[in-house]
Amino acid sequence: MPTRPLVIRYEDDLQLFPGLWHKAGAVLTLAVALGYPWLASERWLTVGNLGLVAIVGAAALMVLTGFAGQVSLGHAAFLALGAYTVAVLGNKWGWPFWLALPLAGAVSACVGVVIGAFALRLRGLYLAIVTLGLVFLTQHVLLAYPEVTNGLSGTSVPMYWWFRGDVGSAASVGDTWQLGPVVLGFERKLYFLFLPLAAGTVWLTKNVQRSNSGRAMMAVRDQDLAAEVLGVSTTQARLQAFGVSSFLAGIAGAMFAFQQQYITVEPPFDLNLSIQFIAMIVLGGVGSVFGAVSGALAFTFLSPLAESVGHALPLIQQLTSAQQATVLLSVVVVLVLVLEPMGLFGVWLRIRRYFQAWPFRY
Amino acid sequence: MALLELDNVGLSFSGVRALDGVSFSIEAGALHAVIGPNGAGKSSLFNCISGIHRHMEGRVRLDGQELTGVEPTEIARLGVSRMFQNLALFEHLTVLENLLLGRHQRYRTGLLRNLFWTRGAREEEVRHREKAEEVIDFLDLEHFRWMPVAVLPYGIRKRVELGRALCMEPKLLLLDEPTAGLNQEETEDMANTLLDLRHELGVTQVLIGHELRFVMDLATQVTVLDRGRVIANGPPSALRNDTRVLSAYVGGTVAA
Ligand SMILES: Nc1ncnc2c1ncn2[C@@H]1O[C@H](COP(=O)(O)OP(=O)(O)OP(=O)(O)O)[C@@H](O)[C@H]1O
Ligand SMILES: [Mg+2]
Repeated sequence: MPTRPLVIRYEDDLQLFPGLWHKAGAVLTLAVALGYPWLASERWLTVGNLGLVAIVGAAALMVLTGFAGQVSLGHAAFLALGAYTVAVLGNKWGWPFWLALPLAGAVSACVGVVIGAFALRLRGLYLAIVTLGLVFLTQHVLLAYPEVTNGLSGTSVPMYWWFRGDVGSAASVGDTWQLGPVVLGFERKLYFLFLPLAAGTVWLTKNVQRSNSGRAMMAVRDQDLAAEVLGVSTTQARLQAFGVSSFLAGIAGAMFAFQQQYITVEPPFDLNLSIQFIAMIVLGGVGSVFGAVSGALAFTFLSPLAESVGHALPLIQQLTSAQQATVLLSVVVVLVLVLEPMGLFGVWLRIRRYFQAWPFRY
Repeated sequence: MALLELDNVGLSFSGVRALDGVSFSIEAGALHAVIGPNGAGKSSLFNCISGIHRHMEGRVRLDGQELTGVEPTEIARLGVSRMFQNLALFEHLTVLENLLLGRHQRYRTGLLRNLFWTRGAREEEVRHREKAEEVIDFLDLEHFRWMPVAVLPYGIRKRVELGRALCMEPKLLLLDEPTAGLNQEETEDMANTLLDLRHELGVTQVLIGHELRFVMDLATQVTVLDRGRVIANGPPSALRNDTRVLSAYVGGTVAA
């Protein structure tokens, strides 16, 4: 069964969807993604939006941890920076969301590069601890300036189409649109905004992975001394990984803030959130963009499922539903890793290998 | 003309004198062997040339250009590439990706253009792929192109590491025991490859060897190190019966 056409030029090897099966898979994914918001109930639409946010956040962490091998517990800090940037820009200056969004990424990326420079010589456990410190530092700073961030009581996150004050009363994205029979509520509008953002993030991180920049990160991850001797600057590769990762994490934080409409510092932006993202990329398979996407989706969609079955299970019925979900998800992560150390990506490789050999089984 | 000049190179590790007053030069186009018993300081010498040991004493010059105190990445750019004694491949990457990393410093497109996968980035990728394919062809690695290095047998990995070094199109190629751990057939293949490199591409090579016989057959020039010092230097014919060399190798594999 030929799964791809004959490669006659090196350009052909660079394509994302080289063969018929790849193209069919892409079309199918697109159809499911576009159909989902019309079929899902309100509750699952929210889960879908959180899934798209998780894809952006997990892809961001994948660049830093999966490609460059820098284990970071500070991911929540970058999300918090993104979230609070859009909240402040919206509240203080009435910025439209599409302008605040990239700025959230930029603010987060600036902090990321500074931390990256600071942590250049750190690796493994030491880096984890420094980045953990970043979470506490960020929480502290956000709470220390209540006149900007509204402190402990949290802040609303307005989402305007245009500058507030211009064009009459600034229209909020929260307003429901009715076009004949088609109803576009807030969550559904968000979905169609988040979908291209998530797809764009996947595309960008895939481009990092298949290009010289990504290879340099992975070289530094696997053998930093050999990388230096080949002319790969470990400093540059690590800083680039920090920059790209924190930029995208800032975007994810901003998306999350818009979706929540009202945010506080803690929860959600605490160590627990960082660990959830690590769980996602480990579940999906460290080192691949596919792993980031599948891990993020599996994690977000299993949470509500776990909450709904949790009360029926012995041992954990006494816990709150959130705790039940945590326990069940931990079990799932551990099981997947015991059965397939490469995570969902490994499962996918096996399926693919099976079909490549089809109809012969060996 | 000397391509590489070592001038009074010394190196100490907390009490251990790994190298002491090492001076010799390597001619352009030579296949220069460095031999000596275990712990003689051969690998340390390579580390000094490629800039890994910042606390080295003495001076190293490549083509008249000072390498002393220069960053390893810069030394790589100046045309020095190497093969490590204990393989240092990027295990999780494919053979092709490992080879393309050998071309890393020749890429002109940076992160931004790579992120957006611009036409320039794509064209450059194809251009370097063509060069990597030449090396794949030269080393018969066609079957392994898409395989992650981690699954390959040792002999193939050695070839991949040589390939990665060749992708840099080096002026000076440092080979740290390229035949260690290889079987008879693979050793002969490697020897032929090194000779081809010299004759077809004219790459200057420095070869560290353990086996006296292998080295003596291949090399145009031999330097013998013992406990960090140069004890002999000259063409293999002159050293074959040198008593100093033989005594350094007592119990070793001495040429028949
Ligand atoms: N990073 C290091 N720290 C401390 N001592 C070192 C280090 N590298 C090498 N040495 C010491 O320097 C001496 C020379 O080591 P080197 O590896 O250069 O020898 P070699 O000639 O390559 O030996 P072999 O044939 O076993 O590869 C040895 O005594 C070794 O213990
Ligand atoms: Mg050695």
